[in-house]
Amino acid sequence: MDAGDGPVGAGRAQWLFLAPLLLFAVVFLILPLGFSIYLSFTRWNPLGTPSWVGLRQFEYLLTRDDDFLRSLVNTFIFAFGFVVIGVPLALGLAFVFSRARGKAVWRQIYYLPQLTNIVAIAYLWQFVLDDRYGVINRMLGLVGLRGPDWLTDPTMAMVSVVLVMIWYDAGKNMLIFSAALEAVDQDIYDAANLDGATAWRTLRSITLPIIRPAFIFVTITSFITGMGFFALILAMTGGGPRGATDVTALYAYRMAFEDLRMGRASAAALILAAVIGVIALIQFRALRERS
Amino acid sequence: MTRSKFLGSTFCLASLLAAPTTAQERPLTVAMHYTQEQAAPLIACLDAYGTDGPGAEYQQISYGDYLQTVLTGRLAGQAPDIYNVYSIWAAQMVDNGVLATPPAAVTDFVTAGYSAGTVDAATIDGTLWGVPTEVSVYMLVSNMALLREAGFDTPPTTWAEMREMAQAITTRNDQDRIETAGFAFAQSSSGAGLVHPFYALTYSEGGDIYADDRSEAMLESDAATATAGLMAGMVQDGITDLSVDAYDFPAGGIGMMIMANWYESAIREGFGDRFDEDVAVSAIPMGEDWKTMQYAFFMGVDSASDRSDAAWDLVRHLNEPRDGAPSCMAEMLDGLGALTASSADTAALPEADAFTAPFVAALADDRAISQPNVMQASELEGLIARTLEEVIVGDAEAGPAMEELDGDVEDILSEFY
Repeated sequence: MDAGDGPVGAGRAQWLFLAPLLLFAVVFLILPLGFSIYLSFTRWNPLGTPSWVGLRQFEYLLTRDDDFLRSLVNTFIFAFGFVVIGVPLALGLAFVFSRARGKAVWRQIYYLPQLTNIVAIAYLWQFVLDDRYGVINRMLGLVGLRGPDWLTDPTMAMVSVVLVMIWYDAGKNMLIFSAALEAVDQDIYDAANLDGATAWRTLRSITLPIIRPAFIFVTITSFITGMGFFALILAMTGGGPRGATDVTALYAYRMAFEDLRMGRASAAALILAAVIGVIALIQFRALRERS
Repeated sequence: MTRSKFLGSTFCLASLLAAPTTAQERPLTVAMHYTQEQAAPLIACLDAYGTDGPGAEYQQISYGDYLQTVLTGRLAGQAPDIYNVYSIWAAQMVDNGVLATPPAAVTDFVTAGYSAGTVDAATIDGTLWGVPTEVSVYMLVSNMALLREAGFDTPPTTWAEMREMAQAITTRNDQDRIETAGFAFAQSSSGAGLVHPFYALTYSEGGDIYADDRSEAMLESDAATATAGLMAGMVQDGITDLSVDAYDFPAGGIGMMIMANWYESAIREGFGDRFDEDVAVSAIPMGEDWKTMQYAFFMGVDSASDRSDAAWDLVRHLNEPRDGAPSCMAEMLDGLGALTASSADTAALPEADAFTAPFVAALADDRAISQPNVMQASELEGLIARTLEEVIVGDAEAGPAMEELDGDVEDILSEFY
């Protein structure tokens, strides 16, 4: 027995303890991913048997399928809007509530949408935003204003789903920022006060640098969420009007479960995963380098 | 022979002998999208069938998940014996060998007892695949209270008349939004609210959607292009817009819509006591040669069923009139306000009410042409709906848009035909 080895059987024991986790990973991660990669090189509807088509699904999606390319653009718009507006908003809310009375109550209120079923949220906002009967346009009508066509105009439909997504997710990110803000040592603020730092200077030079890990985490996870999220859009606009809110994850879902094109859906999902991976890596490095 | 070998052999033999017995004992499974409550009359028949037959049980699969559930079940080797197939799913199910061909007796039963259009709905490439069950037909449904208020006593019979009436009914509020709509298209995620009326109007224009062998689309034809233009005119001339939804008809703010019979119960609920007086069903307003579209569900048997003969017997049992009374299926459909295309059941059922009678007449007079059974029907109808919407809102001209659509649709057809 070598000096570094543990007791006899320790090697097997560690594998035994790891086995449930490994089994889970194999069954629920590696096998489905491997099957999905395999399917992306095939043409298959689940009624028959897959037929090998090589790279044709990728070639079709990237060179001939305008709907797919448009869905990629829509995905970027959705994710970008979600991050650019949603992350500062969550940070702002966390900052305001960290100094507010009854902050626990405020945080709970803002977290409530997270506890609600996303389909219920979609229907709720459909009622609020309906062009003719919606609460917002009815109220605007009372003061003589014609409200936007929230769900039937292509541009406004994208704005609507981004805003609802921000509303839905703000509470979660706010809690992460709140935890980070609570962890900042009060002595640092006291020292800054003694040195005559303004509130803006304190925020810029003390708070933000200290909570940067939380900021990186929230930004990257929000971006990944935005790139892959489609349940809200499916229930709220169905990808319409005229494909204006059709994001790539929704495209892949439809391709798989409505059009029964599992091969093309897998290829679309892999392209999306690759795009998310590359951008998340760039984002992570950029944000880390700055720190 | 060792003890373990003996036990192993015995177990294998017992399993082999037991397997067929177990399959025979298992009740036949009928998978439909109706809820247990809706299917109560049918379930009662299935329960009774168990007393003197192999037994049968009902399996509910929601409409939206039907095909996916069937596919998953088949992959797991747990397919039902009998399906209730929406006709546009049929081409894919047939192409992949999911459905069994019916015996000659069932084929004769259908061809002799159902309207030709409905037989087409259950027919793929010249072969009948099951017994038609629920049929839906599109007709013009009018809110006569609004028509009378605008000075019209009868529903329109031509498109020009309908435009004139709709224009007279439509009112707008101070923000220029439509308050009362003379006409409305139905909004649905599948696009059926636009596509189904488009089929009905195209058929009325003398056109068709696909060539008989399905290798070509006919969406750039004069009939299809003219139809897209007719639909677009309703929006571009301010008579209606896509923020108005025909499914709001029961609320009373919509003058006319092209809608299927299955929406009767919602309209009846909305209009209450005024239903008989204020709701009228009439021909598609395209003149004397009007046609319409029908779609159907049909009962088929899984090709992997180990008791296909018993399954076909059950299918026939459920769809045959019972000593002058309607069949189990017709009894259930009648309770739902839905239609059967069986002439024997139509005769056995009480006379249709004023709302339903025009739908029944459209079937009997062969005015109702089947929704095309084509591979990737759902995907193709999604493309058609998108193009129609673009034309209707004025993002595209009817001619070039339908030409481009025709090419896109033929790209998909070329994969299969």
